[in-house]
Amino acid sequence: MNNTKENTTPLVDNSYYEAVTTAIRSEARRVMESGEVSAVIGYKSGRRKGSAQPVIISDVSRIDELVFAPTCTNNLSLYLTKAKKEVSKKGKIAIVAKGCDLKALAGLMSESQLKRENLHLIGISCAGVHGSNVKPSEALSAATIARKCRECTVHVPEGVDCIAGTLPQLEQLSALESAELERLEAMSPAGRWAFWKEQFSRCIRCMACRQVCPFCYCEQCLCDRNRPQGVETTPRPAGNMGWHIVRAMHLAGRCAGCAECERSCPMDIPLNLLNRKMANELKELYGQEAGMQPQEKGPLATYKEDDDESFIK
Amino acid sequence: MSRIGVFICHCGENISRTVDVERVAKAAEKISGVAYACEYKYMCSDPGQNLLKKAVIDQNLDGIVVAACSPRMHEKTFRKAAQSAGLNPYLVEMANIREHCSWVHEDREEATTKATEIVTMLVERVKMNKKLQPITVPVTKRALVIGGGIAGIQAALDIADCGHHVVLVEREPSIGGHMAQLSETFPTLDCSQCIMTPKMVDVANHPNITLHTYSEIENVDGYIGNFQVTIKKKARSVDMDKCTGCGVCMAKCPQKKIPNSFDKDLGMRPAIYVPFPQAVPNTPVIDRENCTYFKSGKCGVCQKVCGPGAVDYTQEDQLVVEDIGAIVVATGFELYSIGEKPKGSAIKGYGEFGHGKIPDVIDGMTFERLASASGPTGGKILRPSDGKEPQQVVFLQCVGSRAREKGISYCSKICCMYTAKHTMLYHHKVHDGQAYVFFMDARTPGKGYDEFWRRSIEDENAVYIRGAVSRLYQKGDKIVVMGSDIALGIQVEIEADMVVLATAVQPRQGADLLAQKLGISYDMYNFYSEAHAKLRPVECATAGVYLAGACQGPKDIPDSVSQASAAAAKVMTLFAKDELEREPIVAKVNDKNCVACFYCKKVCPYGAVEEKEIRDRQGNLIKVVAWVNPGVCGGCGTCQASCPSKSVELDGYTDEQIMAQIEAL
Amino acid sequence: MIGPIGLIRRIGPIKEMIMHAEKLKHDFEPKLVAFVCTWCTYAGADLAGTSRMQYPSNVRVLKFPCTGRIDPVFILRAFQKGADGILVSGCHPGDCHYMAGNFHARRRFATFRKLLEFIGVDLERLQFSWVSAAEGGKWVEVVTELTERVRSMGPMHEFKELELEECWSGKLDTAELKEAYEAIP
Repeated sequence: MNNTKENTTPLVDNSYYEAVTTAIRSEARRVMESGEVSAVIGYKSGRRKGSAQPVIISDVSRIDELVFAPTCTNNLSLYLTKAKKEVSKKGKIAIVAKGCDLKALAGLMSESQLKRENLHLIGISCAGVHGSNVKPSEALSAATIARKCRECTVHVPEGVDCIAGTLPQLEQLSALESAELERLEAMSPAGRWAFWKEQFSRCIRCMACRQVCPFCYCEQCLCDRNRPQGVETTPRPAGNMGWHIVRAMHLAGRCAGCAECERSCPMDIPLNLLNRKMANELKELYGQEAGMQPQEKGPLATYKEDDDESFIK
Repeated sequence: MSRIGVFICHCGENISRTVDVERVAKAAEKISGVAYACEYKYMCSDPGQNLLKKAVIDQNLDGIVVAACSPRMHEKTFRKAAQSAGLNPYLVEMANIREHCSWVHEDREEATTKATEIVTMLVERVKMNKKLQPITVPVTKRALVIGGGIAGIQAALDIADCGHHVVLVEREPSIGGHMAQLSETFPTLDCSQCIMTPKMVDVANHPNITLHTYSEIENVDGYIGNFQVTIKKKARSVDMDKCTGCGVCMAKCPQKKIPNSFDKDLGMRPAIYVPFPQAVPNTPVIDRENCTYFKSGKCGVCQKVCGPGAVDYTQEDQLVVEDIGAIVVATGFELYSIGEKPKGSAIKGYGEFGHGKIPDVIDGMTFERLASASGPTGGKILRPSDGKEPQQVVFLQCVGSRAREKGISYCSKICCMYTAKHTMLYHHKVHDGQAYVFFMDARTPGKGYDEFWRRSIEDENAVYIRGAVSRLYQKGDKIVVMGSDIALGIQVEIEADMVVLATAVQPRQGADLLAQKLGISYDMYNFYSEAHAKLRPVECATAGVYLAGACQGPKDIPDSVSQASAAAAKVMTLFAKDELEREPIVAKVNDKNCVACFYCKKVCPYGAVEEKEIRDRQGNLIKVVAWVNPGVCGGCGTCQASCPSKSVELDGYTDEQIMAQIEAL
Repeated sequence: MIGPIGLIRRIGPIKEMIMHAEKLKHDFEPKLVAFVCTWCTYAGADLAGTSRMQYPSNVRVLKFPCTGRIDPVFILRAFQKGADGILVSGCHPGDCHYMAGNFHARRRFATFRKLLEFIGVDLERLQFSWVSAAEGGKWVEVVTELTERVRSMGPMHEFKELELEECWSGKLDTAELKEAYEAIP
């Protein structure tokens, strides 16, 4: 989602990125050399200028490959669970985490997928990352920043082992995603249905949103089952609607808001709107939201006897 | 291809009157996978069941749908029948076309369509049913009885006499309950204490009974045969092992002006006390709220005078966990108080009777204490305000009971009889006094009951006035009772010295909270619900929990005692076997798919989910998964709905079964 | 707690109303599905039967051990299979046979209906209720009300339409596609 009408002046200057990169490397080197961790999961430069890609480094000599840039969009927690399962079996691992990534890590700890004592967390004071369809070489600006980052509440991670970089005063950006949410909420049910019907009709069921989601770590997805088939697997409108509803429901109360689903969607379906909506609703209903600390029980794994039941006759 | 048999019941005419059963059978025949369909007048009758058994064998059926009444009624019947013909009982489902169809719809066309659709849904479901085998669980042969009144005592003695261990828990410092408070009992007028106290002593001396008085149920875990009950033993401040019950502490306690609730606050007791002289156990407790030592740290007299050194101010509440196989609930009743009730309460007080502020307007239990030889007046009927002997006493019946506008619509059952008894006791003690009774009608069903009631009128001079009382008010030292006599059609005004109210019988305060701990249901008044009003009157819907006495509904002593013995018999039936068979409706985890997020564990109300390690032959850990303990699982299926990958499935209600039903909509 | 006294008083008139009203023929008869727990609502519906109360025949009941077992996917699937209205009903809070199943269900469905609302499903078609084993009258009331409401709303087109729609029907109805297809050796 590109914000073409917005200002293109850089939000932070280059020295910030240099400082973060240096801090990541020195911390990674320290924990690798001391033998505290066996590998570091971070970002390295990609082939195109300014681009970055995830990397797992288990050799001290490669530490200097680590970088941080506005293109470091990936939520690396994925590489601890389903993408590279063998990684977490190697013992303690260091991982570079932005605020939103940290929320995902905390969620995974709450769900017994990770143990805090097996992780060395290198937190990033993060100004934000690129949205999709942005040239990697471009600077981070109001025009290029991801929509989720415009209303980020976790620029500086908490409860990590070290923090890389310090943030300058950040410009307050308009909350486009919340504005879009409000626009949808103001519509009639029929209007919203038309909106989502159109959005989901484009879905090609490539499942990128699922593959990239740190919380979609099931061995077998409910939506792939055919005995019984709860959700149609072919990319027909009915199955698409089913899939996106089930996805949003399964992430409700868990989603960390990294918006990787939305970024990776080749059809540009605004999936994070659903995630944000559900997070808002659960916060309003039960006062719980995904945070930087693991929770014993998420909002849908617990209850209070006096929970709202105004909708029940 | 399945070979399903569909059996449509006419239920006499109950179903066939509105549902065209022949058409339903014909439609069922055409459903894919149905090998046999028929209709019959009474499927649940012997010939009906035989028809089913024969079809299972002749038609080689692998699934059955019986379209008849509610499965709550006859599911067991048909499952048993199928089983005797060699078919796994869990391959039988019932389509409810009576309660959910023929009885609630009049239009024959609509009802027939609906019945056909219900049958279709169940046929699709039964195709997905799996053979299940019953689960056996061990039974701990120890019973818990909650409440030490006559019902609890009777149940405890019966079970203990049978050779099983019983844990009896009583909230008060002594067992005995309400019966210990009564003066004499109807219809024989024998002294309550004389027949009650020997039973109390039997409990105390019984080698198979562990008695926890001054104790409450803190928590109940587990399930039939395997409960873990946490009992809170409140601090008595007296060491039960050391105390000899000599009573010196009570005699020497300087704080003697505490109203004794056992005597309905008419008498006084010290801060260290037993509620009444025949208490079991005869060990005093310190009422810490009123004890000078606990209030100010000064005094300590009881400790100084106690020879055996039993008084212990440092005692704390203690939690005891008992392994229990079956629970008898006998928490009894309390009387409706006519005082002002908090706003919004369904129960209203009696402003017209002065909201309980006129001192000589008392309830039946207070009269019992006045009439009791061991009571505060030594058995003399003296009115509370000035201690004078009342010459005119008015008894009012149905105060609270059968009064919908006051929030209670039921009859309290015992009041007619005890009021008749009160008039007699009064006449015996105040020979020239006059008793009046305002009543709606006298309900005296019971052996010797009506004769007893008539005696109170014919031999004991009580004047019964059929009618209600509209108002009571104090006038000088009299209470004016304004009422009507509907037999004569006149207004009546009596200047009474004392008024006795037969107030309604209610469950104990907090009965609902205990029910929630036990997982049993209760009605709108908080009386505990039996599993079946007629056929299972002492069992709860929750397996392993039984009811005795007035906690289930108003009862007199003989009824309470018989129900207690019935509950004891149920417990003994359970204890007769070493193992218990349970329905196999429990959750199972698919180890391959489970990703160990433990949502199931977080939501399980029974704590049935554990973590299980899967190792290879060398003992290396492959993964950790969830595991459901089938003995603990209650079968609610909350885990399955919460499992993101549906790796846990509830047998009997699998996704496949439910989806098949939905697909058939 | 719902005051059953009030309800009992109301059963009379409702029953009368339904039994003696002229049987109206409606243009549209909705399909309703009720997901209920076996201990309270199913038993409540049984009680409505034993009390011979009358209510519209549109509802099909699916029995669950507990509302805690009811998965949102079932609701979704029922809508897709043509349900015009759905009822989910179980024990009153505190009455759950399994202690807490209905509490979990309450949160789950509070969340799910917010999601459906956001997607654009009219929540008037999705009813939740607590009906105890003693509330046969309430069962009748809830089912009657939902039937009438959904009947006046008309059929639930949204999910049904999706069922019928295809992204690409497989037809070669554009010139380019036809050409490309024929070019395949």
